[in-house]
Amino acid sequence: MSEPVMGVGFCRPLASRKVAVLATALSLLGVVALSTAAQAATEAAEPAVFAIESPRAEKGLMIDVVHAGKRLVAVGDRGHILYSDDQGATWVQAKVPTRQLLTAVFFIDEQHGWAVGHDAKILASTDAGATWTEQFKDLSREAPLLDVLFNDPNHGFAVGAYGALIETTDAGKTWTDVSDRLDNEDQYHLNAIAQVKDAGLFIVGEQGSMFRSSDEGQTWEKLEGPYEGSLFGVIGTAQPKTLLAYGLRGNLFRSTDFGDTWEPVALKADRGALEFGLSGATLLDDGTLVVVGNGGSVVVSHDDGLTFNVFNRPDRISLSAVTAAGNGDLILVGQGGVRVAEPTGAERKKQ
Amino acid sequence: MSSHHNDKATFLERLIFNNRPAVIVICLLVSIFLFWQATLIRPSTSFEKMIPLQHPFIEKMMEHRNDLANLGNTVRISVEAKDGDIFSKEYMETLRQINDEVFYISGVDRSGLKSLWSPSVRWTEVTEEGFAGGEVIPQSYNGSPESLDQLRNNVLKSGQVGRLVANDFKSSIVDIPLLESYPDPQDQGKLLALDYQKFSHELEDKIRTKFQEQNPNVQIHIVGFAKKVGDLIDGLIMVVLFFGIAFVITLVLLLWFTNCLRSTVAVLITTLVAVVWQLGLMHFFGFGLDPYSMLVPFLIFAIGISHGVQKINGIALQSSEADNALTAARRTFRQLFLPGMIAILADAVGFITLLIIDIGVIRELAIGASIGVAVIVFTNLILLPVAISYVGISKRAIAKSKKDANRDHPFWRLLSNFASPKVAPISIALALVAFGGGLWYSQNLKIGDLDQGAPELRPDSRYNKDNNFIINNYSTSSDVLVVMVKTKAEGCSRYEAMAPIDQLMWKMQNTEGVQSAISLVTVSKQMIKGMNEGNLKWETLSRNPDVLNNSIARADGLYNNNCSLAPVLVFLNDHKAETLDRAVHAVQEFAKENNKDGLEFILAAGNAGIEAATNEVIKEAELTILILVYLCVATMCMITFRSWAATLCIVLPLVLTSVLGNALMAFMGIGVKVATLPVVALGVGIGVDYGIYIYSRLESFLRAGLPLQEAYYQTLKSTGKAVLFTGLCLAIGVCTWIFSAIKFQADMGLMLTFMLLWNMFGALWLLPALARFLIKPEKLAGQKGNSLFAH
Repeated sequence: MSEPVMGVGFCRPLASRKVAVLATALSLLGVVALSTAAQAATEAAEPAVFAIESPRAEKGLMIDVVHAGKRLVAVGDRGHILYSDDQGATWVQAKVPTRQLLTAVFFIDEQHGWAVGHDAKILASTDAGATWTEQFKDLSREAPLLDVLFNDPNHGFAVGAYGALIETTDAGKTWTDVSDRLDNEDQYHLNAIAQVKDAGLFIVGEQGSMFRSSDEGQTWEKLEGPYEGSLFGVIGTAQPKTLLAYGLRGNLFRSTDFGDTWEPVALKADRGALEFGLSGATLLDDGTLVVVGNGGSVVVSHDDGLTFNVFNRPDRISLSAVTAAGNGDLILVGQGGVRVAEPTGAERKKQ
Repeated sequence: MSSHHNDKATFLERLIFNNRPAVIVICLLVSIFLFWQATLIRPSTSFEKMIPLQHPFIEKMMEHRNDLANLGNTVRISVEAKDGDIFSKEYMETLRQINDEVFYISGVDRSGLKSLWSPSVRWTEVTEEGFAGGEVIPQSYNGSPESLDQLRNNVLKSGQVGRLVANDFKSSIVDIPLLESYPDPQDQGKLLALDYQKFSHELEDKIRTKFQEQNPNVQIHIVGFAKKVGDLIDGLIMVVLFFGIAFVITLVLLLWFTNCLRSTVAVLITTLVAVVWQLGLMHFFGFGLDPYSMLVPFLIFAIGISHGVQKINGIALQSSEADNALTAARRTFRQLFLPGMIAILADAVGFITLLIIDIGVIRELAIGASIGVAVIVFTNLILLPVAISYVGISKRAIAKSKKDANRDHPFWRLLSNFASPKVAPISIALALVAFGGGLWYSQNLKIGDLDQGAPELRPDSRYNKDNNFIINNYSTSSDVLVVMVKTKAEGCSRYEAMAPIDQLMWKMQNTEGVQSAISLVTVSKQMIKGMNEGNLKWETLSRNPDVLNNSIARADGLYNNNCSLAPVLVFLNDHKAETLDRAVHAVQEFAKENNKDGLEFILAAGNAGIEAATNEVIKEAELTILILVYLCVATMCMITFRSWAATLCIVLPLVLTSVLGNALMAFMGIGVKVATLPVVALGVGIGVDYGIYIYSRLESFLRAGLPLQEAYYQTLKSTGKAVLFTGLCLAIGVCTWIFSAIKFQADMGLMLTFMLLWNMFGALWLLPALARFLIKPEKLAGQKGNSLFAH
């Protein structure tokens, strides 16, 4: 369908970025000023509410999908968390103590996983995603957490809007805001965090911001990225120190030295360069990289990200994340929910 | 008691027949005046008359009408490219010309006109997907392959696929909001009301015909309330043709029945006078002709003819004994005025019960039909005998009726077996089986309209084909239920209101039969996502009041001026009663849980909301109407015959007809709706005539001491032919409707034809069988009796 990438925030020419930064800063002031009052009101009013079980949950907006062992776990709108034990053919809705949009999910092993989302919620599961408990929330931020990653079963990070970086060292029993470890004066949104093989952690965010850490997140180094537009995601490839960062308007960059230098990767669609924003990616067992995005974009690389085949699904519905189904197929999530696709991204015909 | 009535009749008779010229002159003058009135009557369809104004849904809709203005009245023209897709120079040129042409049609709200060519698309279109950020057709567009390529890209990015552009890129839409009234082009100070018929014709001439000729590769599809009403009015005009057909058939039948041209012409003319009076009076009292009241003249014509036939039958019989036409007419008048009045009263009672249905068109139908039958008293019960007293009846006809009176009738002899002790139990058993079967089958009967598309028109009408085209090729549905969300002033953009609206939308989307839901929340989420660079992770409501406020700035029409009312548009798969019930129930359930001070979820607007309300009214009225009409008819019979047995003999066959009628509706897939509900009342009201005519004769023969079967034979011999003929006349009057372009008229025609024929059959078949069990002839024999017909 349509491509929201042409939205207001995003068509601005490079020259006007400074204005945009100013605007962001101003809006931030507004947010901060208002947040204290709002917090008290909402927290008092809201008892623990669980997501409503809905027959159409798998057709609603879904944002992220990962594996908990063989099981697939997807998170999305209205606190919906779905899991599937049959390669995405059928989905079961988990019991989840929120009704807010969830933005990311991460499993460290077959049983233990975390999900983050709006209201700065962090939820945890110890039963492979069937039930969830709340570990953290902060309504006063009026801002979402956008990604989550664990180094080991105890140590993990969540990143989010306005430069939020939150850390746990006790499997999430307590979470601490460590945003000040980043040199992020403008409080750019941190959109994604990833582990890079034999190198460390990498964060990308708004306005092309990039941060890396070689000591499991204790100290962070700010990088001058190759791009001034926003980056929505980052993923380590199968090769050491190699990673892809991707974002607005089909911009995809590859680095083989943990972000010291970057090469733009051209994405050729049927009618010229791909202009859709890219939002999620996965590394398959055979080293294949799949990146998805708006406009039904599914781009696939079999050479560790040097070149990509571009496919736009005919429905043009925006995609947010992708993972392997476990049988060669792909699981795509985004607007319109979860769906099974062929390895190219084309619609899997139901048998 | 009876002598009193006789005196009265005699007085009336003297009054009329001693002043025959005066009667003729008065009728002539009245006819001239009412004919002039009748010529002024115009087809009119007012939206408000078709809906139950007292229903809480509709009351709320009317209350918030101004706040919902933007949702209302639009017409959509879909321009289809038969070969290839819309991205061709020729297609775009035709589309541009159509866009320009539409711009100048009166009644179009030019500021809201939307197509790929209008600049307004760029500024106002907010979609689920995001914002259209650039001009879809750029300034630099020149029809070259490059610019067409650019256009294609722009369309893809615009979010208009499924809205202005079909999912398969083979057609695009010109969206035309209408003004209910617009300034007169000649005199800007004056406001003209939108003439739907004229507007519809202009679309046909200036758009469909013109551009399909000009560019053979395009096909035009037009939908929208205004177009539908225009088509309806066109369909109405066809009904005049049906009237002509019914007239001719009736003429032939009358000639066959009377064997007399003079009396045939007399009956037809007096009946036409009745129709003219009825139409004239309707206009005189300020009513127009809507698709329902349009049918009243048919009924009046049929009822008038049937009474005329009774009169002619009587006069022919009397003429064989009387020396001149005047005496025959007077005697017939004396004999038939009272049963005629009773029958007409029964008709009127049937019609009047319809007044309890809270829908304007039905009430007007009831009033129109009641006026009509009242008029028949003057024209066919008074004017006709007077006219015949002048012209007389042909010798041949008198001779035939004299001969008929004396010869044996094998057919009637055969039918009289229905009263025999052997056949009657079988008849009753069969009737019981039919009754049980009918009851069982009519469980399948549904409330409401069952077909796709515009229920007023036939499924294969051009409008419904156009409608199907648009439903199939665009992400849209023509069945919309609107929930009004009321908050305090400036409250609609608060999180406390938006979050529950969001929940309601999701609940509705999880309700079977709901396709999608749209509200300011939809726009808000898209806007917030847009403000965050199109990132799906932000596609949700913000708790920040400023962000929310900004996010709905472009949600035109999805909240009112002071942000105290926000409609939620729920798109449904169809408008079947179960679908509507489920959706309405889901909303009511949600409202019960979530309504609080400053936040109310109110049903309902949108066409589906109106239909849901209508269905509820119909459902409630269905049983009431049935009980009321039977109560009235039974009371009439009791008053007339003073006998329970007689009442049962007359009413029970009607009950069987009603049950079988319901089963037929279930079988034909016709739902109980505004159009079919009156049929029950009309069918029973008119159907009771047969019973009254037959029973009154039967009773008088029984009193004369004849055994039941012989009495029934005599009854059939004297009145059977007239009853049979009456049934045929009525059926012919209404069965032409079956061919109407308007679906509900066709349904009404079918059901009424069935009810009237079957009522006649029931009276001839079941009435004597019931009489066999309920009536004791030996008790009646020789008795003076106390019924109104006893002489």
